[in-house]
Amino acid sequence: MGRPGAEESGQESGSAVCFCVRAWPEYSRRVGATQTGRGLPRAGPGPASDRRSSDELELCPEFMGTRRNNLIVMGLVVILLGVAAYLIFIRQPVTESTQLGLDLQGGVSAQLKGSQTGGGKVTREEMELASNLIRQRIDRLGVAEPDVRVQGDDQITVQIPGVENPEEVIDIIGSTAQLGFYRVLDSEIQQGIPQDEVPEARTEIEEDLKDDDAFQDGEAKVLFEKSPMPGGGGGGTYVAGYVLNETPDMTGDAIQQDGATVEPSPTTGKRQVSIQLTGEGGRQFGDLTQEIVSEAAPTGQPGLLAISLDEDVISAPQVTEPIIGGQVSISNDGLPEGLPEDEATQLETVLNTGALPVSMEVIAQNTVGPTLGTASLRSGLTAGLVGFALVLVLLLVIYRALGLVADLALLIYAFLLWGIVVAVPITMTLPGIAGIVLSVGVAADANIVIFERIKEEIRRGKTSRTAIAAGYEKGFRAILDGNVTTLITAFILFALSSSTVRGFAVLLVIGVVVSMFTAIVVTRALLGLLSDRGVHLPPGMMGVSKKSIGQQQPERVR
Amino acid sequence: MFPNLDFVGGWRIWFAISGALLLLSAGAIGIGRLNLGIDFQGGAQFTVVNAESQPSDEEIAGALPAGIDREAVLVQTLGDDGYEVRTPVLSEGERREAQDALSEVFGVQADEVGVTNVSAAFGGQVRNQALQAVAAALIVIVVFISFRFEFGFALAAMVALVHDILMTVGFYAIVQREVSLVTVVAVLTVLGYSIYDTIIIFDRIRENAPTVGYNRRRFDEMVNVSIRQVVRRSIYTSVFSLIPITALLIFGEATLADFAFALLVGIAAGTYSSIFIASPVLALYKAWRAGRLRSPRTA
Repeated sequence: MGRPGAEESGQESGSAVCFCVRAWPEYSRRVGATQTGRGLPRAGPGPASDRRSSDELELCPEFMGTRRNNLIVMGLVVILLGVAAYLIFIRQPVTESTQLGLDLQGGVSAQLKGSQTGGGKVTREEMELASNLIRQRIDRLGVAEPDVRVQGDDQITVQIPGVENPEEVIDIIGSTAQLGFYRVLDSEIQQGIPQDEVPEARTEIEEDLKDDDAFQDGEAKVLFEKSPMPGGGGGGTYVAGYVLNETPDMTGDAIQQDGATVEPSPTTGKRQVSIQLTGEGGRQFGDLTQEIVSEAAPTGQPGLLAISLDEDVISAPQVTEPIIGGQVSISNDGLPEGLPEDEATQLETVLNTGALPVSMEVIAQNTVGPTLGTASLRSGLTAGLVGFALVLVLLLVIYRALGLVADLALLIYAFLLWGIVVAVPITMTLPGIAGIVLSVGVAADANIVIFERIKEEIRRGKTSRTAIAAGYEKGFRAILDGNVTTLITAFILFALSSSTVRGFAVLLVIGVVVSMFTAIVVTRALLGLLSDRGVHLPPGMMGVSKKSIGQQQPERVR
Repeated sequence: MFPNLDFVGGWRIWFAISGALLLLSAGAIGIGRLNLGIDFQGGAQFTVVNAESQPSDEEIAGALPAGIDREAVLVQTLGDDGYEVRTPVLSEGERREAQDALSEVFGVQADEVGVTNVSAAFGGQVRNQALQAVAAALIVIVVFISFRFEFGFALAAMVALVHDILMTVGFYAIVQREVSLVTVVAVLTVLGYSIYDTIIIFDRIRENAPTVGYNRRRFDEMVNVSIRQVVRRSIYTSVFSLIPITALLIFGEATLADFAFALLVGIAAGTYSSIFIASPVLALYKAWRAGRLRSPRTA
């Protein structure tokens, strides 16, 4: 302080960013005249120059903002760089600092659509509940950090990085897991069916059963059980159809919290899933098995109990006496080990987390292998780095000293952006890389707009200092309007699109905002400090040939 | 730059060039050359990188399970040892079988075969969202420019925007690249870029425009001068944006390369349209307005 112009600069010392331009008076007056009322929001030179007379402007010789402001800006940049460096390199090893999306590290993502079993509309609450249940199911599988979120009214996106068995995971998250217990009214079994004839066998069984007396339209339905024949894949498939009441006699509500466990059967030692029922459930189950026994008594054959998960029968044991005590087990005695291990785990997981309130359909699914992910990451990085390096070189060639400053600002930009990506944290995806690459172009452009303006002013015979000041002041408005429209498109993309596109939108927004900061505020402070140090930039060092100076007079516009 | 080029007066030439290209684009879209990917139609897509063997397209299609329509299977190569196989919508079981079969044909582990499976319903939803996003962006941008500039500028910018979008989509149809969700992102980006480029020029016109009075000859000349003042920046900016984009086109894998291609066309079109379409349209609109304001009295 204590220099001429301190009063003016004092007004804005509250903000580190000072757009106060004290360019030559004749110029400012013209801007004030054409710009009144629609110039820059706050801090704009328009209204300010309206208030001041040209004499007052002469008192303000600091073209490039005060030295103090410039030092504050650079200090801020150094602090931000320090924070970014800490976040990226020191807090954890650098290879772990950036969260990679599924497309870059491999994994599975699925889009699920919920619907009522009857076809009605689902509520937001039901979807929230369903997404919580799905998250619990995935957590029980012990895979790394799933991302489960409700999208729109009736959809859920699930993203699970680095899964080894994507198929199984999709099965588990998508199944409604509505458990049903039924008395079997009639059944038909076909054994040893080759894999590709299973559909025909099903149709045949279904037609047979529908002709049966036990099947009454509207009150009964046919569900199927399908499992490999004992003795391995060569034996074909066991297909059974059961005529059941339309609504289950008992549902999964009868199961006690966390009541399902995988264990070897006490009698045969084969793998089975034991289910502990609630008190009420146990009584109901007693009644149901009693009914099965007494209904079957006249026929002389033992009655069957069908246990279904969603619309598939998973087990249909014979019931020879009423079962009381509320303990049920699901087993497959036909196979040497009992239930296959993955099937047992799946059953345990879905039974313990409970049924989803709505039925879920997988409408889109994407699995990315780890090799593919690494290849994408490598190609994206190569493209980004090569593009970035070329931009740096070209800026240097065209704008010489100014280009050097711009290069420095672009490097700061890249580093800060990385810091933000790590800090938030934002998951990097391929569209995200595209967004960053694009924002490099935008960042370079902000410099180009300003530098071209500076060169233009120099050709008109202005000194470097005045030209630089004018370049920033006049360039800023165009850049602001341009970037606001880019931000508008980015916001619309974010609001109206699916998660893939959002990654792009988010990085574009952050990229644009950070680039505005580095390309305008930081380069300005750097140039300001340079000229304060008495560094004089001859036109040649800014890419203006001596010949052209003064030749291109300001064109007469009117 | 271009001291003798009459940007406004030569509008018939610029419009004819664009008109011819747009006709070509519209024609290509019209005869259904647009290669809609599974994001829009539904279907399954299998991706393999680092394939051990190099089977022919017939071998690949032949390896797929019997239920899949061979005619509808599309095989694309990605680089030296990458493949992309597209099929119609598959059931869960078919998908698994196809995945196993392909991993065998290519000699890779089953979990190295990337799969994307999109139902037709989801494809329709994506298409609608994309159209909504483009429409919403256009409307908001018109409002924004009308507010920051005036309606004539917004109208001219809009003409340029539609020009660029049509051109981008049209070139996509001509070279038959696959249109995916990423293409929509690219189109919206082109939209943002094109408007940005137009605004830089309009900003100069706004700055140079007299506050009162309109005179066609003076206004048109002023527009020409304004363009000459900023045209170097327009070209440099395009070059600077196109550098990283070209890098993406060369080094990026399929998705990124598709994205880069759309941007390449769109940004080139956007730079051209800001100078040769948006500015003449603005000048013509001003002339038309001025004519209309005067004529009702005399007519």
